[in-house]
Amino acid sequence: MSTYYASLFAEAGILLLGALSVYIILATGQLSLGNAAFMAIGAYLSSYLTVELGMPITPALIVSAIAAGTIGVIVGFPALRLKGIYLAMATLGFGEMIRSFFINFPAMGGSGGFHGMAHISVGYIWAWAGGILVVLILVERSRVWLEMQAVHDDETAAGLVGLNTVAIKVGAFGIGAAVAAISGGLFAHHHVYIEPANFGFERSIDFVLATILGGSTLGLGSLIGAILLVFLPEFLRPIADWRLAAFGTLLILVLLVRRQGIVDRTLLRGLTFRKAAS
Amino acid sequence: MILSARGLQVRYGAITAVRGVDIDVAEGEIVALLGANGAGKSTIARAIAGLLPFQGEIVYKDQKLRPNDAERNVRRGIVLVPEGRGILGRMTVEENLAMGIYTRADKSQAIADLKRMQERFPILGQRRHNAASLLSGGEQQLLATARALLSKPRLLLLDEPSLGLAPQATAYLFGVIAETRAEGLSVLLVEQKARQTLKVADRAYLLETGRVVTSGPAQKLIEDPAVSDAFLGGHG
Repeated sequence: MSTYYASLFAEAGILLLGALSVYIILATGQLSLGNAAFMAIGAYLSSYLTVELGMPITPALIVSAIAAGTIGVIVGFPALRLKGIYLAMATLGFGEMIRSFFINFPAMGGSGGFHGMAHISVGYIWAWAGGILVVLILVERSRVWLEMQAVHDDETAAGLVGLNTVAIKVGAFGIGAAVAAISGGLFAHHHVYIEPANFGFERSIDFVLATILGGSTLGLGSLIGAILLVFLPEFLRPIADWRLAAFGTLLILVLLVRRQGIVDRTLLRGLTFRKAAS
Repeated sequence: MILSARGLQVRYGAITAVRGVDIDVAEGEIVALLGANGAGKSTIARAIAGLLPFQGEIVYKDQKLRPNDAERNVRRGIVLVPEGRGILGRMTVEENLAMGIYTRADKSQAIADLKRMQERFPILGQRRHNAASLLSGGEQQLLATARALLSKPRLLLLDEPSLGLAPQATAYLFGVIAETRAEGLSVLLVEQKARQTLKVADRAYLLETGRVVTSGPAQKLIEDPAVSDAFLGGHG
């Protein structure tokens, strides 16, 4: 594989994890626009662990995920009091807060960034991305997912069947944050240089866009969304300066035709049925 | 008594919706809360279920209930079918029913009950793979009631179950409620359809602006001309 395509595949794997981090939180009816902050925590912490403490990348990613997950749980509690657009705004504020923290944190390079990480392969990135996607697809068939869906559909009704809605919502924030942190750790070790600007609002929006575009009711949707978001602008290169405008138009058209995103359960069932029939 | 509320008071900010209400429900009894819109009936049911803060005392099976403790109350055996049904629309009928057995420890028995419930209400069995949001109003109410029954409640709170239902669906639903008496279940039934409700209830409390104005055995209330004129739309 050429370096160009390898780099695109690596970006798609990292974006997939970011999109899944949004998807997990969204599955309980909460929209987070601040997942780039958890990605930043994962990127900086894992880089510190590998560069400064000499820890191997895999345990460094796990430690970063646990740390970001804990912060996610802490963020999840005040988030319980907010819904819809207000929650989105609060998470956006959290994202900017973390970015500002790293700008003013000289131990990790401040606005000048941090480097020295060992480069990781596309295969390693996809081992994580694919592994987490497969685990999530399995979880989607479990009782835990049913509980998350119940909270998404009607929180009061979910409480009235005895579900611990607080634990479910806060837990989703924690797991989502952990997945975003892994995405950040992989990003840092793929690019071997990070700076606070890598984890701005646009990054969080990319995560949300990949989830919504691909399909926000299935983990598989995030995969489709991430691949489209990374590869489509590249395939549109022949139209030069107009490519981003064309990409934006395509996005709007897709969302107009399929509000639920490209993939949903009905489409998947239809495809499975057709395959079985043939 | 399975449930006793004493001096129950519920406020929404500056507005007092329930003003010092006393209510008792005995084991295996169907008790109705009747009254017009704004009388405080649903608020009482929601306070008992643990969805609202309250003042006063609610005792269930000799245990004092705490405000805003819905999840624990479900595990204690108090289950509310809220106004608007509270079905989980994106889930299938079967998944909704499965949520009903969530708190039960006897899983193998619960799974058998899940199958039996689909036989008891065949329409739910036939539509088990459909999204719950695609059911009609009557079917949704049936689903919500079946889900509540699956959690093996000792006290079932039904908040306006006949709201928006056709007469035939309402009659069927009231038949289902009457059947619960045979199962030894206690029911607190919040309704506006007073005459129909009094036919299935053992006792009733009539409410006006957050206060109990009269109470007694259902049959006696039906026959009381003053009650009939004020709450049942005259003799009929």
